[in-house]
Amino acid sequence: MSSPFDQIIVNEGGEQIDELELSLLETLDHVLNRGLVIAGEITISVADIDLIFLGLNVLLSSVETANEVLRHRETKL
Amino acid sequence: MKVYIYCLTEGTDALPNSLRGIAGAAVRWIDTGCFSSVVSDFAGEAVLVNRENALAHAAVVQSVFKQTTPLPFRFGTLVTEPKLNSYLTARRETLQRKLEQVRGCVEMSVKIVWNRNWTDESLHKDVQEKPGTAFLHEKRRQLMGSEARAAEARRIAVWLEDKTGEMVREKRIDTNPTEKLLLAAAYLVERGAVEQYRVRLKEAREEKPELHFLVSGPWPPYSFANIDLEFKSQFGVS
Repeated sequence: MSSPFDQIIVNEGGEQIDELELSLLETLDHVLNRGLVIAGEITISVADIDLIFLGLNVLLSSVETANEVLRHRETKL
Repeated sequence: MKVYIYCLTEGTDALPNSLRGIAGAAVRWIDTGCFSSVVSDFAGEAVLVNRENALAHAAVVQSVFKQTTPLPFRFGTLVTEPKLNSYLTARRETLQRKLEQVRGCVEMSVKIVWNRNWTDESLHKDVQEKPGTAFLHEKRRQLMGSEARAAEARRIAVWLEDKTGEMVREKRIDTNPTEKLLLAAAYLVERGAVEQYRVRLKEAREEKPELHFLVSGPWPPYSFANIDLEFKSQFGVS
């Protein structure tokens, strides 16, 4: 997937947040939360913890928190 | 059987033969008079929210977006063909106006983070004050800080519009959408004006180095597609 980003956010330590991860988060923000809706016709099921972890934690907090989320994921791996 | 619907367009240009959608299904058009719907067959009852499916949805919409500006549907829309026909017929005029609005445009996204303490420090805590008074003072400091943050977000939204407004056809601004996010904005920009928009935005960013910008685009106009009342997703964000 090509990146839609013009600029990559940088944390206070000067470290770049992974571009692909941010690209994914922005994609999720658009695909899951915006777009034309036919009332009552969205039928989804949730099973992928990794995606929800990223989606909920980052979208509900902020793009800045993405870095914390990614760090947390790295330490778990 | 239901179809999974990705987006709506006015024409039927060729899609890449290799294009696959949700669950690897072949993507096809349904022509319903004024509109063409980009769909794929779906045998299940619900669409699994996972990375693969979300990216498949985005990729199909993006493929159409390379040729024209569609109205993207939200992820997870499953509908029977008769229901789809009924929906498009009933809302034909509104959808045509929406397509007219986004024609030849792209969506550009701006998110702004500002790491600053928004608590009002001018309201000093009195070391002599009793616990109840201290509690109320702390609440007041937080409230004043929250109001200051909201006011600053509104000021930045106006400032940003002043910098880029002439290139923007429509906008969606959400101030203070989250605790740390000061502003989330989506701008509808004509394809031919994207480079000019980027230059103006770059200049604006240099004016305010204290702000962290996350700018992305061009996107299909996800933020400008919906015609009904704002829909709150299962994730609680919109």
